[in-house]
Amino acid sequence: MSSTSWHIGEHVFTSRFFLGTAGYPSPAVLREAIAASGAEVVTVGLKRALAAGGDNGFVEIIQRSGARLLPNTAGCRTAREAIALAHMAREIYSTHWVKLEVVGDEHTLQPDPFELVHAAAQLVRDGFEVFPYCTDDLVTCQRLLDAGCRVLMPWGAPIGSGQGLVNPTALRTLRARLPDVPLVIDAGIGSPQDAVQAMELGFDAVLINSAVAHARDPVQMARAFNLAIQGGRAGFEAGIMAKQDMAVASTPVTGRPFLL
Amino acid sequence: MNTTQHQTTTVAGSALSIEFNGQPIPLSSRTTLAALLNAMGQDCTGMATAVNGEFVARDERVHCVLNAGDSVTVFRAIVGG
Repeated sequence: MSSTSWHIGEHVFTSRFFLGTAGYPSPAVLREAIAASGAEVVTVGLKRALAAGGDNGFVEIIQRSGARLLPNTAGCRTAREAIALAHMAREIYSTHWVKLEVVGDEHTLQPDPFELVHAAAQLVRDGFEVFPYCTDDLVTCQRLLDAGCRVLMPWGAPIGSGQGLVNPTALRTLRARLPDVPLVIDAGIGSPQDAVQAMELGFDAVLINSAVAHARDPVQMARAFNLAIQGGRAGFEAGIMAKQDMAVASTPVTGRPFLL
Repeated sequence: MNTTQHQTTTVAGSALSIEFNGQPIPLSSRTTLAALLNAMGQDCTGMATAVNGEFVARDERVHCVLNAGDSVTVFRAIVGG
């Protein structure tokens, strides 16, 4: 089963699965999970570190996977921090792509929308392709587009929570109001059914980390999500029937079979 | 040689003391960021640097003269979601 391609700017994607690389039990499991996922994009990060080679081989595995790297600005609380981290990520990873995260609350890890928009605008001016991690607020999303973002990554639920899509109504609104914008649901997906739901809503892709990394069998789970994402997208493209309030008989009988 | 002066941070230090990834380091003399990294034996491959929270590009480290109280931060690649 294949999926129709989609694009962000000039970059064309076949896979609709972005995979996060944190929290896997070993580099080998991460390598196999990336392969099983079919993901063309994987996220990576930066941290303060004095010594090289302190990641136990994970980064080398990621760089050899062939996937396109999408560095994040995780942990940043201000636009200034995120802008600096993005520039450092560009130098280390040799990519102008950045997943922009600017945290506004330490418990929900939801973005500060004001700092997020400010950082996005500056990074677009600095030549980045900004993938902003945002909430499902339509106006914030619109401001990010006004700032020059060509893709949006609204949350399904708080990072790492595995709650699934806690506000599908808001996500449905984003899809309806921004029909031509690439939309990637990022964060909170817990199981393949959540990915199916995201794809059936018409979202272009999903970004998943914890649900794969923390599964009992991350490789099998990556494969499961791969199938779910393809299935959900195929269902969306096939045109899902409308829900009805009452039963609508499917067998074309003429009234009751016996008149007694 | 062009020199780039960075604003000092709120880090209080001695006459020639800087902060390096959160740890105070005394300097015997004024130095550049590049020279400091070299003196510390840092593997500059796959590393990015900031001084006082501002990115200093690889090519600019040799021009970046450190002032007393400056905060140097070194970042490296890790996994991420």
